[in-house]
Amino acid sequence: MKTSMNSRIVHIVLFGVGLLGSVQADANAYREKGKAAIVANSTMTITPPRDWNSLSAKPGKKAESRTLDGDLLNEVTFYGGIAAGEPLIRERSKKREPLPKLSQSALLAELPELLEATYRASKGIGSFTVTGSAAEPFLGQKGIRFTYEYVDRDELPRKGEAHATLIGGTLYMATLDAPRLHYYDAALPEFQALVRSAKL
Amino acid sequence: MAVSLLCAAPITARAADSVVPPPPPYLGAYQPQGVDEIGLWRDEDEEEKALANSPTLIRDEALNSYVRGLLCNTVGADRCQAARIYILRMPIPNASMAPNGTMRIFSGMFLRTRNEAELATILGHEFGHFEQRHSLSQFKARRSSSDLVQWAQVLAGIGGTRQAFSDFNQLQLSVYGRLSRFGRDQEREADRFSIAYLNGSNMRPQAASAFWQNMMDEATASSRSRGLNKPDFHSVALFASHPPDGERAVSMAVLANPDAQTRDDGAARYRTALASWMPAFLDDQIKLNDFGASDHIIASLAEAGWTGPLWLARGDLYRMRGNPRDLILAAEFYGKALEADPALPEASRGLGLSLLKTGRPSEGKVALRRYLDLKPDAADAGAIRMLASVEE
Repeated sequence: MKTSMNSRIVHIVLFGVGLLGSVQADANAYREKGKAAIVANSTMTITPPRDWNSLSAKPGKKAESRTLDGDLLNEVTFYGGIAAGEPLIRERSKKREPLPKLSQSALLAELPELLEATYRASKGIGSFTVTGSAAEPFLGQKGIRFTYEYVDRDELPRKGEAHATLIGGTLYMATLDAPRLHYYDAALPEFQALVRSAKL
Repeated sequence: MAVSLLCAAPITARAADSVVPPPPPYLGAYQPQGVDEIGLWRDEDEEEKALANSPTLIRDEALNSYVRGLLCNTVGADRCQAARIYILRMPIPNASMAPNGTMRIFSGMFLRTRNEAELATILGHEFGHFEQRHSLSQFKARRSSSDLVQWAQVLAGIGGTRQAFSDFNQLQLSVYGRLSRFGRDQEREADRFSIAYLNGSNMRPQAASAFWQNMMDEATASSRSRGLNKPDFHSVALFASHPPDGERAVSMAVLANPDAQTRDDGAARYRTALASWMPAFLDDQIKLNDFGASDHIIASLAEAGWTGPLWLARGDLYRMRGNPRDLILAAEFYGKALEADPALPEASRGLGLSLLKTGRPSEGKVALRRYLDLKPDAADAGAIRMLASVEE
């Protein structure tokens, strides 16, 4: 009786280890510096100048996140080829909680509003401010760089910077979101280096 | 155990008659009694300390003192000293009251109430929870219910038969269903207090029913624009926390003192007090991507007259939805905003963007340059400048 009990436990443990293994294969990945990688299921590639982690939990079909210390402390998100009529991130409920969609006639100057409305609607937050914007090329195309501030649902004030461009009405964007205290300033140069390495 | 649950949860009788007794005389500053209540207050004291430092707290002195004045006007100058009001920047129509007197009001509420009497309905309702110490009785009812369910689970386990587990499942459903009904009855009691305060104040108590009617209209508009079925405002779900809106609108209309119909509801004073915050709250709302609800809110605020900020919000709402027909309408709404208030920079911005997208770039650029002249240090000046430049 005891032996069969022990062997059952061993089987359960082995099964558990097997499960963990299969999860790990699918889990967050290590992105080595200097190695070009395709991001966000698109034609955009980045060659990170330092090591990053990529997160397996994707915010949307055409979005992918990277982090240095965890997504709550610094999260870089690449949006690759969002077409007109598509939202930036996955919608919790297409019918009941739809997110704003990229419009066919969107202008570069309206992209901050799109990101703002996406954040506000998906997080249900009430404070989001665009703090600055300027024309700046992204992926070698005419683009926009803008900065913003918001208080997230966890009541932590966060800051962000985004670089975006529209190529034939399709949106390519990279954003950094990090707590206002320390982490944003610490991650900003790393993020900007990553953005400079992005190519189509 | 079932008996003790019943004792701990005295279900308040629903008001069937139209005579609302005035609130009981105020007994002065109340201090918590017994371990449960003292513990609850301590927890809430800790929460309140964190709340006072919250980055979402609106600290505007004028707005805070206006809302406090309104609460005192509603429940009486002696009672209102027991509550501290915290206004939070959250675009949802909600308010809450903690047992120690911490009242939270979310900024989305100010878009749904259109006058002082409607806002007083909410303040009175929350204060009613406080005055009747609902959190304490809710806590006790919860504890008795979960005690009962836990013990029943143990007994069902000992019994171990299919019948025992089936009985347990039914008992669990009935106990938690009853707990929800207890909560709804507390809400009904708070509604009655709210009307009693209003009847006793110098404000029009009929506004309470109008508020709930407006909330139903908003929910209907929101569902319709999303292609959903019209919400049911009359049936009560087993675990619903509040009575249905339809019931609240009717019961508050019945309980309002008919002689008070002609009283002032303070709409003009409300609009003046909220004027500086309205554009920001409207902006918070329209960026939630709920076209039907936002359009209804703007229209219901505009019943008292269209203003520059209301036209601007409507323009932004249509421009952000972005269908070609929306853009044409948006340009028209921005035009009306500029007629109402030519110095409204954001209206020029919206007009410029809408014209650029509807095949009128030269006029659009003129409007965008006007925006930059009016607000040269705007956060988005860089982005707008690249659109407004002549060589584009």
